[in-house]
Amino acid sequence: MNQPAVPVLEPGATGTRGLVEIKNVHKAFGHVEVLRGVTLTVHPGEVVVILGPSGSGKSTLLRTINHLEKVDAGHIAVDGDLVGYRARGGKLHELREREILAQRTHIGMVFQSFNLFPHLTAVENIIEAPIYAQHRSKGQARARALELLERVGLSDKTDVYPRQLSGGQQQRVAIARALALEPKVVLFDEPTSALDPELVGEVLDVIRNLADSGTTLIVVTHEMGFARDVADRVVFMDQGQIVEEGTPLQIFGAPRHERTKAFLSKVIEPAFNL
Amino acid sequence: MNAVAPNSQTRPEMAATEAALPQSPEPGVAALRSPAGSDGPGPLAAWDYSGYPVVPARHPWRWVGTGLVALFVAAILWSLLTNPRWEWDVVAQWFTAESVLRGLGETLKLTAIAGTLGFILGFILALMRLSSSPLLVSVSWTFSWIFRSAPLLVQLLLWYNLGYLYEKVSLGILFTDVRFFEMQTTTLISQFAAAILGLTLNQAAYSSEIIRGGILAVDQGQLEAAAALGIPAWRRSTRIVLPQAMRSILPTAFNEIIGLVKGTSIVYVLAYSELFYTVQVIYNRTQQVLPLLLVATIWYVVITSVLSVFQYYIERHYSKGAVRTLPPTPLQRVKRFLSTHARTAEVAR
Repeated sequence: MNQPAVPVLEPGATGTRGLVEIKNVHKAFGHVEVLRGVTLTVHPGEVVVILGPSGSGKSTLLRTINHLEKVDAGHIAVDGDLVGYRARGGKLHELREREILAQRTHIGMVFQSFNLFPHLTAVENIIEAPIYAQHRSKGQARARALELLERVGLSDKTDVYPRQLSGGQQQRVAIARALALEPKVVLFDEPTSALDPELVGEVLDVIRNLADSGTTLIVVTHEMGFARDVADRVVFMDQGQIVEEGTPLQIFGAPRHERTKAFLSKVIEPAFNL
Repeated sequence: MNAVAPNSQTRPEMAATEAALPQSPEPGVAALRSPAGSDGPGPLAAWDYSGYPVVPARHPWRWVGTGLVALFVAAILWSLLTNPRWEWDVVAQWFTAESVLRGLGETLKLTAIAGTLGFILGFILALMRLSSSPLLVSVSWTFSWIFRSAPLLVQLLLWYNLGYLYEKVSLGILFTDVRFFEMQTTTLISQFAAAILGLTLNQAAYSSEIIRGGILAVDQGQLEAAAALGIPAWRRSTRIVLPQAMRSILPTAFNEIIGLVKGTSIVYVLAYSELFYTVQVIYNRTQQVLPLLLVATIWYVVITSVLSVFQYYIERHYSKGAVRTLPPTPLQRVKRFLSTHARTAEVAR
């Protein structure tokens, strides 16, 4: 586990927040089974990186955690709270939209395509959810937003519209936006895949900072170097199932499964053979 | 024949270039050399143009075209001004007459009320149509279907004659005799009420589709991000989606509003004294048909022009963040035009 040496980003995150339990989750789109019985426990403060070829169900798994996708079978809980349902009288009752929205404020999400609101400035993007989802005062939300922007290195860009920012800067604003809700866990869905190679580093640095602060992170990425350096645990998925999981040393150094070996040899070796 | 033409034009040129090349001693260098007559550098000479002013390219045909169009416009203006049958003095006499201005006020009132109510109802209908409830979707769809199908004229006459179909309008408990409120339909539905009802419902049917189109044009990722942040549904619609949808809604919406300004003239069938009906009443009395139609037309042109200015600035407002820098306002544009042209004129001299 990654011990928070210096709490750089989220000092509020303690060891008891952010336990994510995924039990035997199934999900199909039409006849295509995207998730076929995924079970995974992410401990508070742990950084889990999910690897796998495209179509392996990584992103879908991430999206089931905050109920953007409803699971067909299986259960997900964050800190013991079932996501999307309430257990009562031996039955699972679907939550109403308002309750689901409340749950989502504990689960931050960062998207591949940033999805910043283009008609709002950086700071307006960040304060929207704290004010309207968590009912904080405008002044409080703004003060916190400015603090977060400073921490992601963008304190000079508060009143700038997203289109006036580079891709890397946009993604850093998006991370600040997710953190403004003080989530228990932050989900990253290929956060650097839409970026120019030279901008990837600045975003990864911010995520690395966050990892050091002890917030639970679940990261889907193709950045092998990042996975090796930052992950406490690497999970390899293929065809809707978890094939193998272990420390970065185990997965990158001595993968046990043929499928993992084949994938890693394709992703890593070409870079070294240059 | 036409499709072949460009080729047949290019080929001789290419042939000419090819023929020209072998004649020069060094074909490769000749291509790099500047055109004859210019004081440009040779291929290997050191060069420095930093002291040279730039002379803008000339567009003589543009000026010829502009001149022809100006001439044409002048001819039209001349005929408008000199042909006595336009009766401009009559136009001037009635243009600001009290009855005409009162009619104009009614037209503006109808447009404002029916436009506002129509777009509010249209927004609600669009949200219904996009909801996941099959009932709301089908109600919204049926509404648009009926009110876009029935001619506006028929709708207006139907509302006005509602008293013929239902003598009394009452509010009570269904299937019982309990009545809280009862009224003669004919007193309830005045000309004004019939006009507003007809125009609003008709406008709502069209604007719901415009708004729905605008909402569909907003990237799905925006809704997803807002949902992932836990922002409530109403706030998501009004703060995240609608402002972005406005960019594609506005041009068509202003088309609709401008259409509505003139569309209000149809309520003359209810003998409602808006601008067009007023003008009709006057020319039926004075027999000055064309000049009075001109009076109405000029007023419609004025309203449309004012609306166009509003449209420009509202669209500019909603393009915030969508473009890196906002386009200049017309005033800024004129200033820039004058300043750059003053400079190029100096350079040319």
